[in-house]
Amino acid sequence: MYKVVLKVLVFSMVAGSLALVGGCKKNKPGADLYGSGDNLYGDPLMGDTPMNDDMMGVPADGDRSMFEPVFFAYDSSQVNPEEAGKCEDVAKYLKKNSGGGVIVEGHGDERGSREYNLALGERRALAVRDYLISLGVDPSVIQTKSLGEEMPENMGHDESAWRMNRRAVFAIY
Amino acid sequence: MKRQWFISGALLTGGSVLAQRVIDITGKGQGKISIGFGSYRTGSDAASKTFLSVLKADLNRSGYFSVTSSGGALNVAGACQAGSQMKADVHVYQVATRKKLLGKSYNASANSARGLAHKVADEIVYAVTGKRGMASGKIAAVGNRTGRKELYICDMDGKNMRQITKDRSIVVGPRWTPDGKNLTYTSYKRGYPNVYMTGRGKPLSSHSGLNASGAVSPDGKTMAVILSVSGNPELWIKSLRTGRLIKRLSSTQRGNEASPCWSPDGNHIAFVSDSSGRPQIYIISKNGGRASRISSSGTESVAPDWGKNGYITYCSRVGGKYRIMVANPVAKTVRQLETDWADYEDPSWAPDGRHIVCSRTSNYRSSIYLLDTLKDSPVALISGSGDWYSPACSP
Repeated sequence: MYKVVLKVLVFSMVAGSLALVGGCKKNKPGADLYGSGDNLYGDPLMGDTPMNDDMMGVPADGDRSMFEPVFFAYDSSQVNPEEAGKCEDVAKYLKKNSGGGVIVEGHGDERGSREYNLALGERRALAVRDYLISLGVDPSVIQTKSLGEEMPENMGHDESAWRMNRRAVFAIY
Repeated sequence: MKRQWFISGALLTGGSVLAQRVIDITGKGQGKISIGFGSYRTGSDAASKTFLSVLKADLNRSGYFSVTSSGGALNVAGACQAGSQMKADVHVYQVATRKKLLGKSYNASANSARGLAHKVADEIVYAVTGKRGMASGKIAAVGNRTGRKELYICDMDGKNMRQITKDRSIVVGPRWTPDGKNLTYTSYKRGYPNVYMTGRGKPLSSHSGLNASGAVSPDGKTMAVILSVSGNPELWIKSLRTGRLIKRLSSTQRGNEASPCWSPDGNHIAFVSDSSGRPQIYIISKNGGRASRISSSGTESVAPDWGKNGYITYCSRVGGKYRIMVANPVAKTVRQLETDWADYEDPSWAPDGRHIVCSRTSNYRSSIYLLDTLKDSPVALISGSGDWYSPACSP
């Protein structure tokens, strides 16, 4: 657990966001329902910001060329410090351009089951969403869409391909 | 009782104690019963020939029989002929006792020769062994031969393949409804991952965020489904009648849930959770409460399927390879099926409760294979024309 807290602290310092330090306080032992020990991967995402469940009129696609994707470690949905800047660019844009929004598309590599990767991809998208919310973006303009391992960016089967495929893509509408 | 005597082969001369015998899927398997077709007559028409060859292949694949052209412990007599209609007489005798185990006359249209052969194969399996066969079952699977991921259905022998969806999108994780008439699946046809059912245009579940792995309960009234509407992927129960969310079964804000499947009595759900840090298999009551973990071996365990036989099959990563496991959730035992160096994933119980259909991936190409939990070698059912994965056997 100490490691997790440390990671989050380092993350928060690099991100330089007070909101995240607030998020860190929630991050206490006992979050694991099944009591099976610490989450080895120490995801700081608490996943407790409910979705706006009204999808009426929400676009299903957007412009993916405006921002760089966020990349993730194997089996992890943690937004790494070196990727945080990309989210901050998107947050700045969304706060300036009212009326628009973003679909955060979560992806995984080909390892693991397709259904588990769907959940993991969603969690990556949600981690980015949580970070955008912490930066002051209105939650109602952020949609998440997990594509699991179904739409790889790189069709290769080695670590360099997998690294490119574990990503969250910003589709701006 | 005589049936039970027969499956036990010549080792046993009585049979009364075996009347309640169930297949011992943890054991080493039993010898095969030789079944001869030497005296079976067919017309020269194509339908009759198809009927006989499909019937023989089904009996061999059943795992209980070894088809011979002459001789055998069982003898199949009768004849099959087809014009526009098809007529097949099938009489199965136990040679040693001259006892008739099956005697039936079947009528069908000539273009349903394959379907009739599957039906007769299952009736022979039942008449001789007292067990349910699998030949009349169907396999649903995802294929990418069109360049998109669409849903397909074929017979248990991999033949008679039909494309079910034409969404030009992505289909993930098909599951049969308990009545075997429809399939639920995740599709992106409206842009976001929603849960659909065949024969219905409107999605069964289309909440904000992820809607995946919809599994209809045995009573047909509710659906276990993975939703992220609460802000994180969790396991939910949704009413199929009102569409309302009934209950959230997991609350792992730091973890993912995936792949629910129902126990045969509909009281429990097995599913994947990575709340321990790695994905593993858990069981929880449909009413909620504490989940108990059943998988222990392997660095990760995913894709459970709870058979009507009570056993849960799932996939574990062991020594860097995906392997098929069979667990007894009551006795808390688990064993790994013997397979070769390829990766075997997404297991689904066949209707006979003996075989498992799964995907096999080697050199990054995936096909659909049949595994025997007793002892037979794996058999390729669907391969070529692109990749095939996520097979689901009809109930």
